[in-house]
Amino acid sequence: MLETVAQAVINGLLIGGIYALVSIGVTLIFGVVKIVNFAQGEFVMIGMYVSYFLATYFGVDPIVSLLVSMPALFVIGVLVQHFLIRRVLGPNDMPQIFLTFALSLLLLNLALLLFTANYRTVHTSYSDEAFHFGGLYIPEAKLIAFVVAMALSGALWAFLRATDLGKAMRAAAQNRDVATLMGINPNRVFCVAFGAALALAGAAGSLLMPFYSAYPFVGQVFVLMAFVAVVLGTLGNVLGALVASLMMGIAESLGVQFVGADSGLIVVFAMLLLTLAFKPQGLGGGRMR
Amino acid sequence: MGKDTDNAGKWQVLALATLGVILLLLPQLVRNGFALDIFIRILLFSFLGVAWNLMGGYAKQLSLGHAAYFGLGAYTSTIMQIDFDISPWIGMIAGGFVAMLASLPVGWLCFRLRGPYFTIATIATAQALMLIFLKFRDLAWGAEGTTIPNLGSSPLMMQFETKASYYYVVLGLLVLGLVITWRIERSWMGYYLVAIGEDEDAAEAIGVNAPRIKRHIYMISAFLTALAGTFYVQYIYFIDPATAFSFNISIEAALVSIVGGIGTLWGPVVGTVLLETTSALLQSWLGSSTGGIQLTVYSLILMAVILWRPTGLMGLFNDIWQRHLDRRPARVRTSP
Repeated sequence: MLETVAQAVINGLLIGGIYALVSIGVTLIFGVVKIVNFAQGEFVMIGMYVSYFLATYFGVDPIVSLLVSMPALFVIGVLVQHFLIRRVLGPNDMPQIFLTFALSLLLLNLALLLFTANYRTVHTSYSDEAFHFGGLYIPEAKLIAFVVAMALSGALWAFLRATDLGKAMRAAAQNRDVATLMGINPNRVFCVAFGAALALAGAAGSLLMPFYSAYPFVGQVFVLMAFVAVVLGTLGNVLGALVASLMMGIAESLGVQFVGADSGLIVVFAMLLLTLAFKPQGLGGGRMR
Repeated sequence: MGKDTDNAGKWQVLALATLGVILLLLPQLVRNGFALDIFIRILLFSFLGVAWNLMGGYAKQLSLGHAAYFGLGAYTSTIMQIDFDISPWIGMIAGGFVAMLASLPVGWLCFRLRGPYFTIATIATAQALMLIFLKFRDLAWGAEGTTIPNLGSSPLMMQFETKASYYYVVLGLLVLGLVITWRIERSWMGYYLVAIGEDEDAAEAIGVNAPRIKRHIYMISAFLTALAGTFYVQYIYFIDPATAFSFNISIEAALVSIVGGIGTLWGPVVGTVLLETTSALLQSWLGSSTGGIQLTVYSLILMAVILWRPTGLMGLFNDIWQRHLDRRPARVRTSP
């Protein structure tokens, strides 16, 4: 019994690392640019397809293809911010919500047109390997994904704390007008934030590839998790999103283990609804918006 | 100016009467099943858009979870029909009330969040409902769903032999939705809704009871959406959670309203005509096999509208009409 619980917690924690990459991106964009990017999941999907094609046609290991998917998605992020998002920033919610929503629909359906709905997998030498500790086992691919995800999250956190650009981003997040008066160029900061968030989504995609299938709808699984984690961890709070993601990974895994195979999502929704009912400002405290 | 508005009013009545006659005669003139099917879809999604627009358009509570009420309406009437032999006409109204009741706790939860996070919470509730209907077989046939027994021609059970009859049913629903919207638009409630949509805090500061108004409009919107759900499953003779709670229903309800003109009486209708016609043309041109093309085109249209004309097609028509009005006096002055 205890072993089953421990195994479920390990599985949840490992996948929670991937959720963290997605939700840190969502919360970063929300904190700095003040919009919710409904298309974040589709950028995970793009990251997966990038790694899939690099692995299938050039034999590049999915983990190595991180070096392609992250810069590529950073550039896409800057372009999306500069040419699309910038035009709808303002007090009105409707264009912001539905612009990123339209982007999500567009990318998803383009993928469906170009790549069909087929599931695509990459098999690596470590896909089936696992470390054994007593009765517990830790899949190697998931462990690598978790470690890299944590390293990237830590790198982002350090970037926000220690570099001038990171400080400028946090300043713009706190008060855009004052930040502008202090000589910070908001559009540049927004472009970097959007690019960084998408690079994290791309990294999540590449890291998933050794043990997860790529298909056009795959992003929706992750984006729902990310949205819940971001609410749970207080909107705009990077550390909160990270902790909440890991918690949700564990909760989902326990749900699958003890309630039934397809009940992971129900657990996640229940967590969202309970959070909204009892602690709508999130577990991190602070103001909602 | 007075004469202009009088004239405009007269023209509007005339245009409306003409449109009404055309819509009533349409099934008599067009006997092609494929075409009638498209007309029924246009009317149904217009109605869904009208129901969504009441809350999403006027009060700017941008829900992407209206499939929850569509599905509840569909399941309520179907369960009543199959298990208790009660006519879907009664089931339809019952479904409306079930949806209305369900909107209370959902609203209680979701209205705690504003803006995009309200939208996300509505998506989550609709998805959660779908999962519940998928998972609990005892509740309603689980994932396989069920076919609705075909009784032949049985108007009392909302089953007809001709597509034209379905056409008139859904036309009636759309008229109902438009009349309700028209009445609300001109009432104190309409002004409160627009005030909430513009700035909720400011509206509350001047004494609008925003939570109550939002709750009420959500109930009305849910009720109407549920009627559409009953009609739809009766029309296709089949129900399963993936159809009844389809995310595409939520998307389409919002999409037609935004493309047509959010917060306007005719916006959802205009938007549906454009989107459904485009989709029908694409289908006859490319065949129905290419998955994804319809939503690809829809999302491009949506992006174009948001970037260049956030007031939708109705805003575009108004601008053109205004330019026409502005030009007229100039012509009077130059020609003595």
